[in-house]
Amino acid sequence: MSLIIDVLTGGVRGGTSILYAALGETVSQRSGVINLGTEGGMLGGALTAYIIAAETGNPWLGVLGGGIVGAALALVHALLVLWRGANQFASGLMVLFLALGLTSLFGASYVGRTITPFTTWAIPVLSDIPVLGPVLFDQDPLVYLSYLAVPAAWFVLFRTRAGLLLRTAGERSDALTVHGADVRVVRTWAVGAGGFLAGVGGAHLSIAYTNTWFENMVAGRGFIAVALVILAAWGPVKVMAGAYLFGAALALGPALQARGIPVNQFLLHVIPFVLTLVVLAALGRRSSNAAPAELQRVFENGAPAT
Amino acid sequence: MTTLLDPTPSLVEPGERPDRRAAALRATGRWAAAIGGALVIFSALLLLRGANPLEALGDMWVSTFLRGRSLAEILNVMAPITLAALAVLVPARAGLTNVGGEGQLMLGAIAAGGTALALDQQLPGPLVLVLALVAGGVAGAAWAGVAAILRLRFQVDEAVSTLLLNFIALDLLLFLIYQPWRESAAGQPTTRELADAAKMPVITGTVINVGIIVALAATVVVILVLGRTRWGFRLSVVGGNAEAARRAGMNVAGLVISALIVGGLLAGLAGAIQFTGIEYKLRAGFGLQIGYLGFLASWLARHRPLPVLLASFVLAALAIAGDSLQLDAQLPAASVNILTALILAAVLGWTTVKARRA
Repeated sequence: MSLIIDVLTGGVRGGTSILYAALGETVSQRSGVINLGTEGGMLGGALTAYIIAAETGNPWLGVLGGGIVGAALALVHALLVLWRGANQFASGLMVLFLALGLTSLFGASYVGRTITPFTTWAIPVLSDIPVLGPVLFDQDPLVYLSYLAVPAAWFVLFRTRAGLLLRTAGERSDALTVHGADVRVVRTWAVGAGGFLAGVGGAHLSIAYTNTWFENMVAGRGFIAVALVILAAWGPVKVMAGAYLFGAALALGPALQARGIPVNQFLLHVIPFVLTLVVLAALGRRSSNAAPAELQRVFENGAPAT
Repeated sequence: MTTLLDPTPSLVEPGERPDRRAAALRATGRWAAAIGGALVIFSALLLLRGANPLEALGDMWVSTFLRGRSLAEILNVMAPITLAALAVLVPARAGLTNVGGEGQLMLGAIAAGGTALALDQQLPGPLVLVLALVAGGVAGAAWAGVAAILRLRFQVDEAVSTLLLNFIALDLLLFLIYQPWRESAAGQPTTRELADAAKMPVITGTVINVGIIVALAATVVVILVLGRTRWGFRLSVVGGNAEAARRAGMNVAGLVISALIVGGLLAGLAGAIQFTGIEYKLRAGFGLQIGYLGFLASWLARHRPLPVLLASFVLAALAIAGDSLQLDAQLPAASVNILTALILAAVLGWTTVKARRA
């Protein structure tokens, strides 16, 4: 029983950084832009948050700074892809290398620095609920914030005018043009907002979850986020479930080892990737039909139609 | 609605038809501006970090290009990058996006490593080396084959599946080196080192290993196959318009499978060369990012085989320059990725004039 609680708690804790990034990627992909630079946005966010938390002692400022740097990196992607016609996959990887370089250059002196991280804060009453209490309500503030961010993202995407414009940019950009809106401006906002969330995800990783900084610490979580969005069929709530699944797979290995059960953690780590492929294969056409139409064009020729 | 960014004006006025020499001059100018701009921004960042950019860049130049062994090192690093770039280029001819070079390279290294380490005590070295290269190519091809099957049987887009397969390959590598293939439980999680006799030989009188010759030969073969064979021609028809190819009676499914498998074979070969020629043991961080660098090299070269050689050389030189940054200027080696990224950004966004905006 305690194993299950440990794994689920770890799933929520470890999945939250992926959740923020995948939520941001949902916003971006819904507008028709895929951003492999999410991995880089998370790195930039993680280091910026760490530096600010170390220098000011205020982790909230760190989250804000991390989000801004994540947005800035995503806007580099938007500039190249939307305004200069670059290939989306190539530009995304370029942003990753940019972030790898920048965080390596400016992060070296912060390796081993101590910071004031976020601490877990049990919500009175709710945290006493059996199982669900410790799993969901004995977490750090950024986890609680993500409980609000998911419905907020859903609401903005599906119930507001801005969300309608954004989704139209992803489904039928010509309709948007007829409507008089500039597709590229809408997409630029979407990609920037997505990058902000990726930066917040990185911040959670460095100043709430691991409380440390080291080079390339994101270790593929940003790529997971990109794949997760496709698995979750571009829906914020499914993204949340998927992020926790990945988080739980990461938490299972250490939890078993802590109980003296020898298990190679990489066998467990690989499960969500295999599962994602299996689910995508099982959905087949249905999965690609759920994709925003303009995004399918990206997969076909790498550049969005504007 | 407010405009967030003004579209950057293109460098050539629309309607203007410059003659060929002027166009070439402009292209050279744009490339020079791209690299110059990247260097200026990089210098500004170094300054911000409190380092002396002139000194750092000067040292970088000297130890990357003027030191005795450095050209050899660049060529050694260039070999797997070139192959990883060709692994992107061949599928791209058929309109496919292979983001999986990283994983195919990893599988190639695992197969080459498994084969070589199992046999290097019993068989003669050169035979082990050849078997390792073959095993690497086959494993890379098989790994890409998974993506091909997923695309054709289950309609999973290859850009997504190859990306996911990268992480599965990485987990497989880590699984192997943390347990079954680990040299000793006490030491670092690595395999043992390949026996000297089975290592990739160097070109007589130099420290350049034979990997670069394999890469150059592969480039020539790719040029000939794409340009001179029916298969190469059909790939570009499928890449241009799959529907037209189908109507012309071409076996589109077969072409898609074969393009991806050939790509995987090249990436697997890159992994085998990285193992037998450069790293000699499987470890965490083996061949890291070579697959992605290859992807970028292919894009830098706009998916043309000869320019791929130049692009791979530049990326390899930058990788070596990173080591110099670490040794001479005491800056982290990975900082050089900034320079790589800035040059790429300039090339991706500012070296071709596009008629955008319908």
